[in-house]
Amino acid sequence: MVLFFEHTQSYGHNFETASLAYLNRYPNPYAKHVLSSDTLESYIDDEGRLRTTRLVVKTGRLPQFIKPFLGNSLNSWIIEKSVVDPKSKILLSYTANVDHRKFIKVEEYLKYSCDDGKSTLVESKVKFSSNFVGFKQRIEQWSHNRFSSNMSNSREGLKFVMNKLKEKGGLWYREKELA
Amino acid sequence: MGNVMSVSFAPECTEAKNKYDDCFNKWYTEKFLQGKSLNNECTEFWDTYITCVDVALAKQKIKPMLDKAREDQPFTTEEIRNSAGTSEK
Repeated sequence: MVLFFEHTQSYGHNFETASLAYLNRYPNPYAKHVLSSDTLESYIDDEGRLRTTRLVVKTGRLPQFIKPFLGNSLNSWIIEKSVVDPKSKILLSYTANVDHRKFIKVEEYLKYSCDDGKSTLVESKVKFSSNFVGFKQRIEQWSHNRFSSNMSNSREGLKFVMNKLKEKGGLWYREKELA
Repeated sequence: MGNVMSVSFAPECTEAKNKYDDCFNKWYTEKFLQGKSLNNECTEFWDTYITCVDVALAKQKIKPMLDKAREDQPFTTEEIRNSAGTSEK
């Protein structure tokens, strides 16, 4: 069984601020479970798009029923791949867990696109899949529920970072120009 | 970014990471997004940072799994093209 979760949200900031906020979304007060974030690769491809690979470490918040199978691995390692096209003003991102994949694989696809010059549309699609016989449905349901409740936190966190970037002004003057 | 800086998974790399991130953010905003530069101009900071990260990663048990995950190819050229197409109203 595979579960999907989809969500669309519009933010009142232009693509420049929104995409910069995405790339700098940690730390924020709504993501205290995020321990670190590192860039592993960053380059510009043949078509002028910025390609980035990142590693994010979060404290593992695993369900009680799964702990006996995983031992003491408390942290989750997450890989993040993103593509930013400055011409079409689109950011695509993919995140997935690195370990415990045979128990559960959570993959998130995000698309940031320029809405009307002043706001940015963020479409997200999350896929939960598990091959762990016996627990499959429970694991998937747990992840799905957890994701739903975490969704508002990631939204608030992103808004927090966007507002912070806007406050700093200067560097992000384009937002003011367009407002 | 603000008062609280994001940290590296390896504490010894955080300083190098913050220097790189600062440079990257400036380049991303002032040049890349505005079509003024197609080269990431932060190589000086990058080299120090990634060397530190690579050394720290080599000591982690997760390294083989991470290397495998890095092969994920989530976006095909076509997907990227299509998503760009839909934005051109």
